[in-house]
Amino acid sequence: MIVASVLLILLAVFGAPLFAVIATSAMLGFRRDDIDLMNMAIEVQSIADLPFLAAIPLFTFAGYLLSESNAPQRLVRLTGAILGWLPGGLALVALAACAFFTAFTGASGVTIIALGAILYPALQHDGYPDKFNLGLVTSSGSLGLLFAPSLPLILYGVIAEVSIDNLFLAGIIPGLVMLVMLSGWSLWVNRGNRQAPGSFSLRKVRAALRESMWEIPLPFVVLGGIYSGFFAVSEAAAVTALYVLVVEVVILREISLRELPRIMRASMVLVGGILIILGVSLASTNYMIGANIPQALLEFVSGLVTSQVSFLVLLLLFLLVLGAILDIFSAIVLVVPLILPIAAEYGIHDVHLGIVFLAAMQLGYLTPPVGLNLFIASYRFEKSIMHVYSATFPFLVILMLSVILITFWPDLSLWLVPQS
Amino acid sequence: MTPHLKGLLERLDRIGRFAEDVALVSLLSGMILLAVGQIGLRELLGTGIVWADELVKLMVLWLAMIGSIAACRDNRHIRIDVFSHILPARLILAARIVVDIFAATVCAIIAWQAYRYLQLEIEFADVVLVDTPAWLAHSVVPIAFALSAYRFLILVFRHIGDLIAGNSPVIR
Repeated sequence: MIVASVLLILLAVFGAPLFAVIATSAMLGFRRDDIDLMNMAIEVQSIADLPFLAAIPLFTFAGYLLSESNAPQRLVRLTGAILGWLPGGLALVALAACAFFTAFTGASGVTIIALGAILYPALQHDGYPDKFNLGLVTSSGSLGLLFAPSLPLILYGVIAEVSIDNLFLAGIIPGLVMLVMLSGWSLWVNRGNRQAPGSFSLRKVRAALRESMWEIPLPFVVLGGIYSGFFAVSEAAAVTALYVLVVEVVILREISLRELPRIMRASMVLVGGILIILGVSLASTNYMIGANIPQALLEFVSGLVTSQVSFLVLLLLFLLVLGAILDIFSAIVLVVPLILPIAAEYGIHDVHLGIVFLAAMQLGYLTPPVGLNLFIASYRFEKSIMHVYSATFPFLVILMLSVILITFWPDLSLWLVPQS
Repeated sequence: MTPHLKGLLERLDRIGRFAEDVALVSLLSGMILLAVGQIGLRELLGTGIVWADELVKLMVLWLAMIGSIAACRDNRHIRIDVFSHILPARLILAARIVVDIFAATVCAIIAWQAYRYLQLEIEFADVVLVDTPAWLAHSVVPIAFALSAYRFLILVFRHIGDLIAGNSPVIR
């Protein structure tokens, strides 16, 4: 058994597809307990039994479409017109635009490629130090993970069977906390870089607004639709996908019909990669629950810690390590079912747990050895990985502080959530 | 490899990619239209298609499975990538041969198990979507895993070819 586990871990770190590793561990478990391996197939099929899952392919597609159109440029111009005149304004523009864009594109590295490519040279041009720019753009690539309708939020809701509507509300304040703390840091770092503040121009704002008039209704369609009870999350996703499709292809004509199959394929490759891990994880989770592993885990943990605070400390440490090796989607489907019952035992609200989980995982994008953003930025901006890492480090520290704040101050997450 | 076999494999690759694209495009478009149409029916006429929600969920399964085949072809499955940035390229290539053989084997096993389950569903005459045979709706699972196993084998051969030729392609 131990030999098999070590072998599997070796296979995983040497680059075996994660779904194959998880499927094998589940099937080994089935075999040991004389459960028919057919269960593997049954579990994968049960992807079709999960509610709201349609939201994932639909939002992913909408996000890919947006990133392939000129929406990123428009978004930068709009935030630039509103915030850019402030001293240090461009840094704020970068943070706000990235957060907004990531919420819609689901934190898959698209933000750095689509927005970073515009913002990085712009920051350079305005005389911000190179290292700061690199760190800012790299860490902004996953900012906005906590804002609706980001994919990790939806996936957590599906897996934990928590109301996705409530998760969307819960993410708002913690997401803003991250944004404000990073903004504060950016302003502080650039306090010496005294540029004459630009002037706020209502005309510029109006022009930028007019230019973005088709994209501006999007957040209202999504959130307004959901909270007015007009439609469910998966329906909001379908409306968003259709709306973006019509706007970018028919009205603005920034994406030709001929490009659509390529974009659909690219987005569905990502979705296939996530959902297949979800499918095999359903099997491994079911096996683990059958084998009473959550129970054993709870006994183990309660031997270590007794109070809620000390449990949260332990959880946070665990999530930081987890985030450094696993991508956010795999971590959600694999780990959430195991820690959910334990967290409940310590009186932690399942919505708060979700926000803590995702916030901690966001740091994983910036920590070696697997931090996705580090590699994308290194590749995109042609800097060595160590250089990107050291540029990102101060931002990582700020984000870490915000995660600690979010973890130990549950009301930040729960304040907007209706109490049931 | 003989030129004839190579030509055949290339043709198969083109046909396969095209088939994936057609399937993904029609499933995704169908899903958008069905879901939006359902809202329209409900809000405007106060009615709806009984089986629409179930069909959307089955389409998610199909999208997931076909997307996963496409991810094999594009070599975009999620992997923990600890070493590929540290170790020399040839060593990584050698490791990729081993892990992709492993992946192919796992996919083949799951394909076989899914096929067994399909036969059970045929035997019990399970239905979905009012009166559609369940095995038809679920047939995508064994097919997807079988094709994935095939794709991983092709990847293995490509790695071996690169290793022999001394290529060190960027794997990411």
